[in-house]
Amino acid sequence: MTQYVERFNALDRVLHWIVAITFFLLLLSGIGLFAHTFFGYFRLFGGPHQGIMVHKWAGIVFFISSVLLFLRHLGETWRFDADDRRWIVKAGGYLSRKKQGIPQGKFNAGQKLFGLFAGLATIVMGLTGYIIWDPTAFTRELTQFSLMLHGAFFTLFMIAMVVHVYLATMGNPGTLEGMLWGHVTKAWAKKHASKWYAKMVKS
Amino acid sequence: MKRKAFLIDTTRCTACRSCQVACKQWNKLTAEDTVNRGSYENPPDLTPQLYNQIHFIEQDRGKDMRWLFINRRCQHCADAGCVKVCPSAGALYHTPDGLVGFNQDKCIECHYCVNGCPFDVPRYDSKQKITKCHACIDRVQNGLLPACVKACPTQTLQFGDRETLIAGAKAAGKKLYGENDLGGLGVLYVLDDEPDTYRLPKNPAIPASIFFWKDVVKPLGILGFWGAVGVAALHYVTVGPKRIEDEPEDKSPKGGE
Ligand code: HEM
Ligand code: SF4
Ligand code: SF4
Ligand code: SF4
Repeated sequence: MTQYVERFNALDRVLHWIVAITFFLLLLSGIGLFAHTFFGYFRLFGGPHQGIMVHKWAGIVFFISSVLLFLRHLGETWRFDADDRRWIVKAGGYLSRKKQGIPQGKFNAGQKLFGLFAGLATIVMGLTGYIIWDPTAFTRELTQFSLMLHGAFFTLFMIAMVVHVYLATMGNPGTLEGMLWGHVTKAWAKKHASKWYAKMVKS
Repeated sequence: MKRKAFLIDTTRCTACRSCQVACKQWNKLTAEDTVNRGSYENPPDLTPQLYNQIHFIEQDRGKDMRWLFINRRCQHCADAGCVKVCPSAGALYHTPDGLVGFNQDKCIECHYCVNGCPFDVPRYDSKQKITKCHACIDRVQNGLLPACVKACPTQTLQFGDRETLIAGAKAAGKKLYGENDLGGLGVLYVLDDEPDTYRLPKNPAIPASIFFWKDVVKPLGILGFWGAVGVAALHYVTVGPKRIEDEPEDKSPKGGE
C-alpha cells in the first residue's frame, strides 16, 4: 500500500506555478515604481522600459491564470463550516505548541481565506492595472484612485504572500511536496486535513 | 537660497500672447495646426509644444461681453504633486531657488506626473517624455529673465524674488492667489474674479488618492513587508513548525489539526 495520497493534479500544479512565477515577476518589475529605494530593481530587466513591458505582459498571464486557479478552488474555499469557525477563533493553533485537534477539509480555514483574498486581489490588481496601463487614458480622478488601489493591494498581497510562502514551506514541513509533484504523505493528510483524508480513503 | 517666483497680474493682460510665442522661440517649440472653435483662445489648452497658454474666459452679458485672460502654466509648487509621484528621482526636481525643472534623460515615460499635479500641467512629447514650463532655469541661472516675462509688453508677467513680489503686490492693495497654497506657489496670480472663474482650484491641494498612495500606502507597505517577514521568522523560532514526525502513530483517519 502506498504511503501517499494525491492532493493536486498536474493541471492544478502547472496553474499554481504559472501564477507564482508571474507574481514574482510582477513584484520585481513593479516595485521599481513603488518607491525610489527600489528603482534599481529595474536593472534586472535591463531598464525601466523593459521592466514596465515585462510587468504588463506578466500582468495579463497572471490575471488569467490566477482567476482560473481561484475558480478551480472556489468549490472548496467558499464554504465555511463550524470547524472552520473554530479554527479561525483559535488562529489554527499557530499561536502555541499545544495541539489543536480541529478537523479540516482539503483546505483549512486560513487557506480558504487566503484563496478568497487572492481572487479578490487579482481582480483589483487587474482592473486597476488596466486603468493605469496608460495613465492619461481615463479621467484623472479614476487614474489617481487606481494608482492608490494598485499600491494598496500590492501591499496587502505581498504581506499575504509572505505568510502563504512561510506556512507552505518552513511552517508546515511536507506541504510543498503536494504542490511540487502532487502527493502528500498520509501522515501529513491526517494531521492537516483529516476530513479530506477520510474522504480520500473512502473513495 | 531665496525663492524666486512669477507674479502674474491678470488685470493687465491684453491677450497679445507674446509670452506663448517667446516661449516657443526660446525653447525651439514648433507651431501647431489649430481649428477655429469660435473663440479667440488658441490653442485651447497646454500642449507638449505649448508651455504657457493664455486662457480666455468669454462671458456673454447680453449686449455686452466680458473678457478675462489668464496665463496658464506650471505653478512651480513648493509641495509639488508631480515631484511626489515621479518614480525616477531627478526627472522632476526643485532648483535651489524653488523652481520646478525636469530632466528628460531621467524621465521614464510613465506619465504618472500629470495625475499628481493639481493643475493638470505636465504634457508628453513625441518621445513620450515630460514637457512643461521649466521657468527658463537656463536663462535665470545666467541672470536673464524668463523668455515669456521678457516678452510681455504690459508687465502682466513679472519674475523675481518671491518675497519682494508679494510685498510689492500687497503694498499696491492687490489680493494674491497662491501665496500659501501647497507650501506657496511659485506663480502668484492677481485675479479679477473668483479662482473658479479662471478654472483654478479654490484651495489647490495634492489629490487625496495621491496623498494616501504616497504618504500612507508606501511607508506602510515597506513596513508591512518587513513586518510580515519578521513575524514569520519569530514564529519559526518561538512556536516553530508543525512537524508531522511529532504525531503519535495513529491508524485511524481521525484527529487532525
Ligand atoms: C493582475 C494583473 C496586473 C496588471 C494588469 C498590472 C498592471 C500594472 C500597470 C500597467 C502598472 C503601471 C506601469 C506603468 O504605467 O508604468 C502597474 C504598476 C505596479 N504594479 Fe501591477 N499589474 C498587475 C498585477 C500586479 C501584482 C500581482 C503586483 C505585485 C506583486 C503588482 C505590483 C505593481 C507595483 C508595485 C506597481 C507600481 C505602482 C505603485 O507604486 O503602486 N502588479 N501594474
Ligand atoms: S503645477 Fe503641477 S507640474 Fe507644476 S510644480 Fe505644481 S504639481 Fe508640478
Ligand atoms: S513621465 Fe517622466 S517626469 Fe513624469 S512621473 Fe514619469 S518619469 Fe517622472
Ligand atoms: S518661463 Fe520659460 S519655459 Fe516657462 S513659459 Fe516662460 S518662456 Fe516658457
